[in-house]
Amino acid sequence: MRYQSQSVAYWYFAVAMVLFGLQLVFGLLSATKYIGPDPLLYILPFDVTKVIHTNLLIVWVLTGFMGATYWMIPEESRTELHSTRLAYIQLGLWTLMGVTAIIGYLFRYGTGNKLLEQPLPHKIVIVICMLIFLYNVGMTIRKARRFTTTEAVLMIGFVSAALLYLPALLHYENYTVSIFYRWWTIHLWVEGVWMMIMGGFLAYLLIRLSGADREVMEKWLYVIVGLVFIAGILGTAHHYYWVGVPSYWLPIGGLFSALEPLALVGMAAYAYGAIRRSGLAHPNTLALHWTIGSAVFSLFGAGLLGLAHTWPSVNKWTHGTLITAMHGHAAFYGAYAMIVLAMISYALPSLTGGRREQGSTLGYWAFWLQISGMFGMTLSFATAGIAQVYLERIMGMGYLDAQLKIQIHFVMLIATASLFTVGVALFIYDFFRHAPRLVVDEPASAPAPVRSA
Amino acid sequence: MNNRQARLFAVAATGLSALLFLGLTLDSHRQFPELTNAQDITPQVRHGMDVWHKYNCINCHTLFGEGAYYAPDLTKITQHRGEPYLKAYMRDPSRFYNEQTHRRLMPRQDLAEDEISDLIAFLDWVSKVDNQGWPPRPILVTGSFAPGAATLAAAGSSGQTPTGARPVDAGDDPRALGEQLFKTATPACNACHSTVPGADMAGPSLAGIGTRAAQTVASPDYHGKAKDAGGYIRESILSPSAHIVPGEMYSADGTSFMPTGYGQSLSDEQVGQLVAFLETLK
Repeated sequence: MRYQSQSVAYWYFAVAMVLFGLQLVFGLLSATKYIGPDPLLYILPFDVTKVIHTNLLIVWVLTGFMGATYWMIPEESRTELHSTRLAYIQLGLWTLMGVTAIIGYLFRYGTGNKLLEQPLPHKIVIVICMLIFLYNVGMTIRKARRFTTTEAVLMIGFVSAALLYLPALLHYENYTVSIFYRWWTIHLWVEGVWMMIMGGFLAYLLIRLSGADREVMEKWLYVIVGLVFIAGILGTAHHYYWVGVPSYWLPIGGLFSALEPLALVGMAAYAYGAIRRSGLAHPNTLALHWTIGSAVFSLFGAGLLGLAHTWPSVNKWTHGTLITAMHGHAAFYGAYAMIVLAMISYALPSLTGGRREQGSTLGYWAFWLQISGMFGMTLSFATAGIAQVYLERIMGMGYLDAQLKIQIHFVMLIATASLFTVGVALFIYDFFRHAPRLVVDEPASAPAPVRSA
Repeated sequence: MNNRQARLFAVAATGLSALLFLGLTLDSHRQFPELTNAQDITPQVRHGMDVWHKYNCINCHTLFGEGAYYAPDLTKITQHRGEPYLKAYMRDPSRFYNEQTHRRLMPRQDLAEDEISDLIAFLDWVSKVDNQGWPPRPILVTGSFAPGAATLAAAGSSGQTPTGARPVDAGDDPRALGEQLFKTATPACNACHSTVPGADMAGPSLAGIGTRAAQTVASPDYHGKAKDAGGYIRESILSPSAHIVPGEMYSADGTSFMPTGYGQSLSDEQVGQLVAFLETLK
């Protein structure tokens, strides 16, 4: 660790780890309900476990993003954070928001609006936390007068994420209009600005891990950002299929979301190229696994599996089936869970004592178990979804009867999800088994000449 | 390409996409009222939407195909199930489905009566939104495997004939036309009735209805106006509550759960064809 204030990242990562573990508990609970009958029908029904599962995902990934940013900004700008106190206040508020929201969901205290279930007070706290975060990071960069392209991409990503949350605060009387704006937040986060944030972290990690030339890396980062937004902004249209909007969204959605893999191919090629071309290799090979893994798995989950059902004439049959769950799980894990785990793996040897820079054996087990588990889960959802589409949508079998025919895929889902859970449990154990050692051990280099983005 | 050009590409790509997206958003707003029948969003429909949100319905069901894939899609449910059925169902789902059979069951929600009727009004509004004809074939809640059912339905609406389905046209036997109507009427009869013995769905199985109709008409408990089996079937289609077979699965308070709109949506000739088909089920 070069700057004392980077230590705030440890506590963000710690909170993210706990919430990640909790997310899996509710995920597994939801999965077992597919086998049924459900002994918890009147205590913890599916709608409750599912809403907690998805909300915890959003909260822990954002916690990880913010922690990773607090880790990265001092190094990039070569200065201490503007205020560690603010960062801790923000973490406290954020965690309080997350935990009370989860408790509320147990009692059905939520808006019942898909993925935006947070009650209004919680939404306001989310906005406040984002503002504190942006202020703190913005002031740090301003003070340092050193603003790298990587930081710029990351910051524009966060500012847009905050702005795009605003439509979620409004109430719409027309259900179709409410769907229309839900995706301004959710889609433009996930396939727009979060991608930008991911690209920023990816560039940072690749520059650090491979020693790749910053000029070259940042140039390609721009290209990737351009591709993300060409496909991502108009690609929102693939959420506008069959919901009561004008028909021109159909071809637009098909065309532009078919372009989405382009940006992801770009990212994967970018990561691979950086590693191949550079001579210098960073000792932290575990972080390298996670970094390259994230680029490759998001190409598979977000890119290819998204493409598989994004064309309107295909989506007409697959819309609203387990095919969507297949894509959702692989995409979120590859693009966002893995990039956060990469940042944690990179930072961890400097945040805790007694850890090898290369990563522990346990860490590698965690990586491979998670990858295989998530791959298996994706296949289980895929086979279940394909069978569902044929039985229910094409042959005309009733929903409930079709679900009975695909039970075996739910057994596979639970088996592979258990494997995944073991991988995550190892990661969490590996995180907490060494006490934090938050001291500056690698003094900052002499101030570099100021260079603007 | 140098750094500067790359940056220009990123900014221009983002700017142009955003501009186009905002333009289309404006145009969509211009079209929303017509596509969604905004004039029909009554206070009941609005309250129904609040009920939909309050009970977290979307985290099991899907609506417009959006939601949680754990329970049936409800986009067109009011076209498959009549209001009396939906009301009775919402009061206690466990009277309609068995968790041991289907491995999952909707928990009782304890909705107030006005919440139930407004929720149905909301779902009815949803079913009429112009959403490019999705779903392309009806998504049924339950039903046994019936080969060709949906393919025939699709053939009727699109004019294309899928392989293995014999085309039916106006010159055919009325019973063949009736069999097609059984799958294509709105609401489709086969959304609730199977023709497989013992396979009761939201409505009773119609296997053997020809024989049972004759027995019912002849029995002293029959209070309707029909004189023969065909007449009884016709009466059941047009006014389902005229004579009710006892049992709490299919009726409540003397009102059958079956939709009542067939008198308007089918011509007299079509009802005749349906009756002719059903009478063949001995």
